[in-house]
Amino acid sequence: MTSTLITQFILATMATCGLSIIFRVPVKKIPVCAIIGGLGWVACQVVMFSGFSITFGCFVGACAVALLSDISSKLLREAATIFIIPGIMPLVPGAGMYRTMLALLHNDMSGFATEGTQTLVAAGAIAVGLLVMGSLLRLVRTVKRKLHPASR
Amino acid sequence: MVNVFQKKILMVAVYAAEIMMKNGAEIYRVEDTVTRICNAGRIYNVEVFATPTGIFVSMDSGDEEDQPLTYIKRIHSTGSDLSKISKVNSFSREFSTTDLSVESGMKILEKIDNEEAYPFFVRTLGAAMTCGFFALIFSGTMIDACMAMISGIICYSLADVLRRADVNAFIRSFCCCGLAAFIALSGAFSIPDASYEPVIIGTLMLFVPGAAITNAIRDFLSGDMLSGTARLMEAILTAVGLACGAGVVLKIWAMVGGVAI
Repeated sequence: MTSTLITQFILATMATCGLSIIFRVPVKKIPVCAIIGGLGWVACQVVMFSGFSITFGCFVGACAVALLSDISSKLLREAATIFIIPGIMPLVPGAGMYRTMLALLHNDMSGFATEGTQTLVAAGAIAVGLLVMGSLLRLVRTVKRKLHPASR
Repeated sequence: MVNVFQKKILMVAVYAAEIMMKNGAEIYRVEDTVTRICNAGRIYNVEVFATPTGIFVSMDSGDEEDQPLTYIKRIHSTGSDLSKISKVNSFSREFSTTDLSVESGMKILEKIDNEEAYPFFVRTLGAAMTCGFFALIFSGTMIDACMAMISGIICYSLADVLRRADVNAFIRSFCCCGLAAFIALSGAFSIPDASYEPVIIGTLMLFVPGAAITNAIRDFLSGDMLSGTARLMEAILTAVGLACGAGVVLKIWAMVGGVAI
């Protein structure tokens, strides 16, 4: 399982690297973006290997991407979106979209419903993951500001 | 009597906002940038209302002779050039901390707007990389990965041409994914060991609306419900376009070729 995860990490990292070029991330930030994308995908895979659903996997992956992006945006003084947008891409259920379309093509309505729901829920899980992590980080920042009002 | 300095500041602020919005920045970042630039010009009564399709800025320096100025900027095309967001972001910081003149600020913004971060050739390589590795992730073989790379280069070039021709997002994703499916199918039926599924999915990942979803959520998070909904709708339309494009080509291939897909 570990070797599979390492392979998956490398593949996802390289794929995210390509995506960062397409999204025109500044050159110096591409490695960071790529690693965030790889780690997000691996987090999703680990959750799925542990027997949870793809939905929960996407949720955890999105949380990981949001958290890592926020940390790197603080460290590198850069907008967080620059890391989130390429990082989230491997998690987006493209394969689910394809299978949904295929089921519709085969006139397999129950398959269409199953796959379609799964894809929608996976996309929703990414959204909820980003939302939860974003609100948490915002809360932490507010509390920090209340505690140390001097240091912005 | 219109205050010329105030008007120039307004133009700089709106131009910065336009560049950011065109390249898919979040709403609060755009509004924040406009406010910051105006404050740097010592105009403190600023209201910005930004949506993905238009920006409204209204400002008043508060002096007795000055009239409030309002500017509406319609945003048409949406791309995703994160380096421009990054550059405008640091520009607004520079503009508000140093005493940069308005004219040179405008020049810097023009330079940012017309600059291409990576040449087209490098971006197609990026597309090839993306598609190839995604094909491998979705259980493709090496042959599939090579096929996906080729299809990625071709489809990305098509997407670039269509974007320049101002074709809307739905048609663009429809055409690109249709072409991807066609390349994948012709590859799979002419090369013995190739399969089309990983190639289609790998190329599809290139056009998946990840940026729109992320931005929609971040807009919801900061309370910009209108923009969040608009971007969510954009994401759904793009996704439907992708599925339709691949679906139509698969169907036609099955009908003409008489092969079961």
